[in-house]
Amino acid sequence: MSEAVEHYEVCLVSETDWIGAGEICALCRLDLTAIAELAELGVVTPRGTAPAEWLLPAAALPRLALAGRLMRDLGVNVSGAALAVELLESQQTLERQLKRLEQLLSP
Amino acid sequence: MEYRDYYQLLGVARTATAEEIKKSYRRLARKYHPDVSKEKDAEQKFKEVQEAYEVLKDPEKRAAYDQLGSEWKSGQQFRPPPDWASGFEFSGGARPGAGGAHGFDGEGFSDFFSSLFGGASPFGSGARRAPRQGRDHHARIDIDLEEAFGGGTRTLELKRPDVKADGSPDVRAHTVRVSIPAGVTDGQLIRLAGQGERSAGGARAGDLYLEVHVRPHRLYQLEGRDVTLTLPIAPWEAALGATITVPTLGGPVDMQVPSGAQSGQKLRLRGRGLPGQPPGDAYVQLKIVVPPASSPQARAAYEEMRAKLGTFDPRADLGR
Repeated sequence: MSEAVEHYEVCLVSETDWIGAGEICALCRLDLTAIAELAELGVVTPRGTAPAEWLLPAAALPRLALAGRLMRDLGVNVSGAALAVELLESQQTLERQLKRLEQLLSP
Repeated sequence: MEYRDYYQLLGVARTATAEEIKKSYRRLARKYHPDVSKEKDAEQKFKEVQEAYEVLKDPEKRAAYDQLGSEWKSGQQFRPPPDWASGFEFSGGARPGAGGAHGFDGEGFSDFFSSLFGGASPFGSGARRAPRQGRDHHARIDIDLEEAFGGGTRTLELKRPDVKADGSPDVRAHTVRVSIPAGVTDGQLIRLAGQGERSAGGARAGDLYLEVHVRPHRLYQLEGRDVTLTLPIAPWEAALGATITVPTLGGPVDMQVPSGAQSGQKLRLRGRGLPGQPPGDAYVQLKIVVPPASSPQARAAYEEMRAKLGTFDPRADLGR
């Protein structure tokens, strides 16, 4: 028996938004201590004073989520995750530049 | 459903210690993790490894899995025994990692896992009695750049743990058609309220978050909301300037190439990237393509250039 398909309107987590620390923790599946450490290491720049009341840019979600995945899945600590995030982003940038140069040089 | 040999997936013996299992998982997770791996089918392999580890790292789940016996082979047709998991004492409460390494109740894992250890099984959250808000689920969705630009719809099949009429665990597929908003960028999250884990005891269901990944495109490279296109041009278009029709995601536009343009030079088409507030830009990187001197007319044209532009030295900066 075929099941009815439900059409679902979605909500985009906007990258121009500022998101509360609690929600960021839930979205990235990181605890507040880890977010605070990642902020100390420069992975994200929060707004506000106490970590529990911080607002964080939604644009930083992908890199915080990446840090969370690396910590959970690979067992790396916060410093290792912060370093890996920076290196992976740098690798992506270099790969993009390489692809552009290859396109430019290809016959 | 098909049986899965979790020991084989992790490459360990059935007698392996917890430490050996952890070590093997770490090695394979590093090899296949979708964020770092360049291996083919890395995501699928990583899920399999994660699923195997989810069971074998937990002494209760491992003991129950071992109870199925060692005669099974991966891929064999399988049904959970009617007395599945009876006689086990569960530690109770919300165990860390219960129901999936991503915090899922088997979301993204195989039907084999869901039927044995998912939310409706004695191991899953369905066994817990206290009212509790459903957890958020996270999944990844791959879309094309055209869909990111113009939006689109995508049909997703979500799997949910359920209980059959006879009380045995089951997995139900639930089809949802999702509207992808125009202007969604790589890494952005789409929230489907109430489509996460079902709640226990009437509390609120969790949300489903889809993390968007935009597939590489044949022509355009995406960076944030900006796109870059490499545009081949003829030497005379570069030298004299020209109006050239350029493909963009929103359709072709006419662009003015300034005279004296060089290979590698970038021109900007403001607002022609992905839509948003503000919209991204399209960058056009010029690539001068030299026509071959393959006909007498072409050779004559090059000869004439040499004669008339003989003072031009492209190697003047080499300090000879």
